[in-house]
Amino acid sequence: MKYDPSKYCHNLKKIAENLTENIPITDLTWELEGGNDPMSKKRRGEFSDFYFPPQKMKKVQKSRGPMESKGSDSSLRINEVMESNKSTQPVTAHKKAPSSGMPSQSLLVSTSSTPTPDHVIFHTSDFEIIWNKSSMSDDDIDSEDELKMMIAKEENLQKTRHSLVNESENDPFEVVKDDFKSDIHKLHSSAKLGNDCEYDSSDTDEIIAMKKNIVKVKNSTESSQPEQPISKKSSFKKIEPSNDCVKVQKTKSNKESALGHGVKCLNPKFPPDSNVSDCEEESEEDEEYKALMKNCPRVNLTLADLEQLAGSHQKVPGKDDESDDSQNINQCIFDTNSKTPRTSYDLHNGRQCICPEDIVASLLEEEDTYSKQKPEETTLKPKFQAFKGIGSLYAKESVDKTLKETVAFNNISEHQSSLKHEDHNRIFIENGSKCANGSSSKLTSCQPAKKVNSPNHIQPPKRQFTVESQSHEVVSSTSFDKESKNPPSCLLPLKGKKSLNLGTKSHKIDCDRDTCHLPESRKASEKEGTDTSNITSFEKPRKVCLREDNQKSTASFSLSVSNASCVSAKDKHAEDNQKRLAALAVWQKAREVQKKLVHSALANLDGHQENKKTHIVFASDNESESEETPTHEQNNCPGKEVVKESVVKASGKLFDSSDDEESDSKEDSTRFNIKPQFEGRAGQKLMNLQSHFGSDERFRMDSRFLESDSEEEEKELNENKTNEDELAAEKKKTLNVVQSVLNINLNNPTSKGSVTAKKFKDIVHYDPTKHDHAIYERKQDDNEKESKARRKKKREEAEKLPEVSQDTYYNIATDLKDIFQNKDTNEKEEDLPWNEGCSGEETGDVSDAANLTSGAEQTSGFTFSFFDSDTKDIKEDTYRIEPVKRGKIVCQEDPRFQDSSSEEEEEEEEKEEEEEDVTKETDHRKPSPGEAFPEKETTRFFFFTENDDRLRGSNLFWCGVGSSISRSSWEARTSSLLLDCRKKHKEAKRKVKAN
Amino acid sequence: MRPLTEEETRVMFEKIAKYIGENLQLLVDRPDGTYCFRLHNDRVYYVSEMILKLAANISGDKLVSLGTCFGKFTKTHKFRLHVTALDYLAPYAKYKVWIKPGAEQSFLYGNHVLKSGLGRITENTSQYQGVVVYSMADVPLGFGVAAKSTQDCRKVDPMAIVVFHQADIGEYVRHEETLT
Repeated sequence: MKYDPSKYCHNLKKIAENLTENIPITDLTWELEGGNDPMSKKRRGEFSDFYFPPQKMKKVQKSRGPMESKGSDSSLRINEVMESNKSTQPVTAHKKAPSSGMPSQSLLVSTSSTPTPDHVIFHTSDFEIIWNKSSMSDDDIDSEDELKMMIAKEENLQKTRHSLVNESENDPFEVVKDDFKSDIHKLHSSAKLGNDCEYDSSDTDEIIAMKKNIVKVKNSTESSQPEQPISKKSSFKKIEPSNDCVKVQKTKSNKESALGHGVKCLNPKFPPDSNVSDCEEESEEDEEYKALMKNCPRVNLTLADLEQLAGSHQKVPGKDDESDDSQNINQCIFDTNSKTPRTSYDLHNGRQCICPEDIVASLLEEEDTYSKQKPEETTLKPKFQAFKGIGSLYAKESVDKTLKETVAFNNISEHQSSLKHEDHNRIFIENGSKCANGSSSKLTSCQPAKKVNSPNHIQPPKRQFTVESQSHEVVSSTSFDKESKNPPSCLLPLKGKKSLNLGTKSHKIDCDRDTCHLPESRKASEKEGTDTSNITSFEKPRKVCLREDNQKSTASFSLSVSNASCVSAKDKHAEDNQKRLAALAVWQKAREVQKKLVHSALANLDGHQENKKTHIVFASDNESESEETPTHEQNNCPGKEVVKESVVKASGKLFDSSDDEESDSKEDSTRFNIKPQFEGRAGQKLMNLQSHFGSDERFRMDSRFLESDSEEEEKELNENKTNEDELAAEKKKTLNVVQSVLNINLNNPTSKGSVTAKKFKDIVHYDPTKHDHAIYERKQDDNEKESKARRKKKREEAEKLPEVSQDTYYNIATDLKDIFQNKDTNEKEEDLPWNEGCSGEETGDVSDAANLTSGAEQTSGFTFSFFDSDTKDIKEDTYRIEPVKRGKIVCQEDPRFQDSSSEEEEEEEEKEEEEEDVTKETDHRKPSPGEAFPEKETTRFFFFTENDDRLRGSNLFWCGVGSSISRSSWEARTSSLLLDCRKKHKEAKRKVKAN
Repeated sequence: MRPLTEEETRVMFEKIAKYIGENLQLLVDRPDGTYCFRLHNDRVYYVSEMILKLAANISGDKLVSLGTCFGKFTKTHKFRLHVTALDYLAPYAKYKVWIKPGAEQSFLYGNHVLKSGLGRITENTSQYQGVVVYSMADVPLGFGVAAKSTQDCRKVDPMAIVVFHQADIGEYVRHEETLT
């Protein structure tokens, strides 16, 4: 049958054939191929990273207790080792068993050992050991013993493992140099952006930094710590509008419902009021950090909703005040906004902003706008007013002013008294809530943020009322005095309930508040006589009245309500009412007077809005207040007046003291004088004392308190010195020990060296004018330098071309060739001087003489054109046997020599010197036999001339009489001369080598 | 509270020098002030002169701790470094080991460092050399003793111990009551 690979059955058959091959069962493995990277390891079921290595055996000794003496140390160790072996045995056994099989499998098993029961047991026991380890102070074993144990154990393990160890470097790890500096922080942050906190060993700061980036990119789904502030803010913001809306609704409901009981009705109303998203937040009053984090994503949702809703409700501006309780909170926000011309702007902002911060800012703006539009909401607004830039407020003012003015006009025109009443109460509450809730919640952490939201705005109405009523009681009980600022201000913190520094922010505003409260307190006092409960019932409705701006006859109405509550005192009530009306009239007059003042003051202020701020800064004792006051002004017109008044008053007070400015200036002049009693060490003490007491006149520290405690000082100094000495000695000791331990010769080099290096104490500046400093001068250098200079000179000299007189020149006759051709002997004559230095002097001399004689003889018929004209003119040149010149002439003629190194030259020089010496000697010797040469004939031209003196002796020499004598004597001397020459040559060579 | 004897100083310095080598002298001879070692309740404290003076006002039996505890002398008069000394060892450490994030937890529970957890090691680390253990983010986690030299570390299998645990910052939690 033919095999057709395309047919299925054929292929089957083929496979069957393949199966016939026997595979030993041992070759079957479960091993998964793959590298040693973590993923493939995990695929194989190895979780090496979480594998717990064998534990330290510390605890084994613990049972022994501290009774063990030093001597038992070794036995102890043995025990330890034994025990450690015991404990490791399961592992080793476990590992040995599979190792008998295939190596690949065994490796696998050895690494993925966690599931085996033995191992688990081993582990748990180790864990017990670790966790039972109660204290380190109890175990007497020190780390060295421990180490030895561990090492022994490791070795045991290794023996078992050794066969398994594959040489692969599977787990990559870096090997770094000593000066390694990791750039982990850069990488870390960048990597973090990509994958969210897989690795958490970094600081929270880092995480926060990273997360901020993440938030900016709007990946804020994963909520964690860093997001907290932002989420806090945003959720906070988001909730805030809802509360405002609640308030709005409250006021609306108040309008509809009975005034006095509205407060209590309102509280149960809130849950239905709140939006689905908000009900959670409002219900959580003890919310925590986690809850906050849950809210984070919701921020985005609501923002999106906000935008959507804004888009939808922009078109429906009609639904303002008549919005139902069930209406969406976001709708409320935009409803309120839609009233204003700013809505479009806000929406625009909302669409534009990308960063959460921007959104928050836009939200803030929105809130600001409707906080201005709805003055009754200002009880809650102040929270955000710190965020507002004043500049932005001023920018908005043009828009807001109109609104304010209209509101103010309405307010003022109708029922001034009741309005005042309301306004002041509002301010009062405003301040309380502002100081207590707003500023604190803004500055503090997330928890207040929520507390502010839920408890303050939903529950606190009651609290506020109670506090308010208390304050009114106090006010009434004290007096109608305008100057009584304290009670309200003291009570404010109570109201604020958040431990703020309200007491310090005192208080022109409080003063005004008092004035505002004046009628109330009067009323209260009127009623106090009858019933205290009456007062509370009176206050509560009034609080409700505060919320309503549009309602005109609040005060009277509330009074009527309160009156209705107290049926028993109806008789008195009529009187009270009359009294009250009278008082109101009086108060109204006073107000008008004040208002005029304020108007006059405002007339100036309105012109210079920018200057306002500075004024307020002067007026207020605290910065936060100064920030708040302008917001008051802008939020509500009547409030503005009050504040202005306060400003005026404050400024008046501030400059009241200006009357005695002169006396002050005198005091000032002395104030900054240096006080002698505060100088010196004792003075310092005194100064400290003084600063302790403060500037209390009674405890002024003058010179009488100056102690002359020199003895004590000395004692102290001595003690200090002794202490320092001791410490220094100790330090020395320890340094010695360090030296011995480290086997380093410290010699205190670091300490002393560093000290000297720091102080630059002993550095001597060399001053050549000082005689002592001659020590620092080096004298040997001069010699060296001199020699060097000399050498240089020499070299220069050597290199310098010998001066050749310009006068001497060669006038070459045209017939020179012929002459030389004819006269061969003349050539020889020319060569003669150069042959002179050669060793073969005798022969030279002989030939020389012969030549010379021939030359002399031929002079008559032969004119040597070289010298014809010149020799007579320049005969003054002194003829000296100067080796250098001669050598140089040679060099001059041959360019090769000029390139030669100075050494060569020197050598040459030396050689030539030697030669010269020889020649000199010969020269000196030459005349000696004949005695014909007088010493005078030194002024010669180099070349032989006619009737040359030097040639004269040749006749004598040549005469042949003393030739035999001279020869014998010469031969006797040659040997010695040769020796001498060689000696000198050697010496010269040695010198050269030495150099 | 007393100064260390010479023998005690030597023992302690030998131990510290395993980790920071000749940088030890920088601890003794500091440019920013005088620091010294004091023995109190068998523990060695590294104290600045100023704090030493202040601590002198407190009676010995009432004094719990002063300065930085470097370690304690065992009853066999050997010295055991505590993790509290890490702050002073880490900046001067000569030999360092960085461990991978996955092995951090294990180390901080008091376990040795396996090769699988070894992320980075200083070259030329010899066997039994004291090393300071860092996380990969360069946070000092503790210190230990190199079980293998750097060269050996390349060869051993992933489950082999490369650093013996000596102290880790997890002890701040585990041994809260004994650390001073």
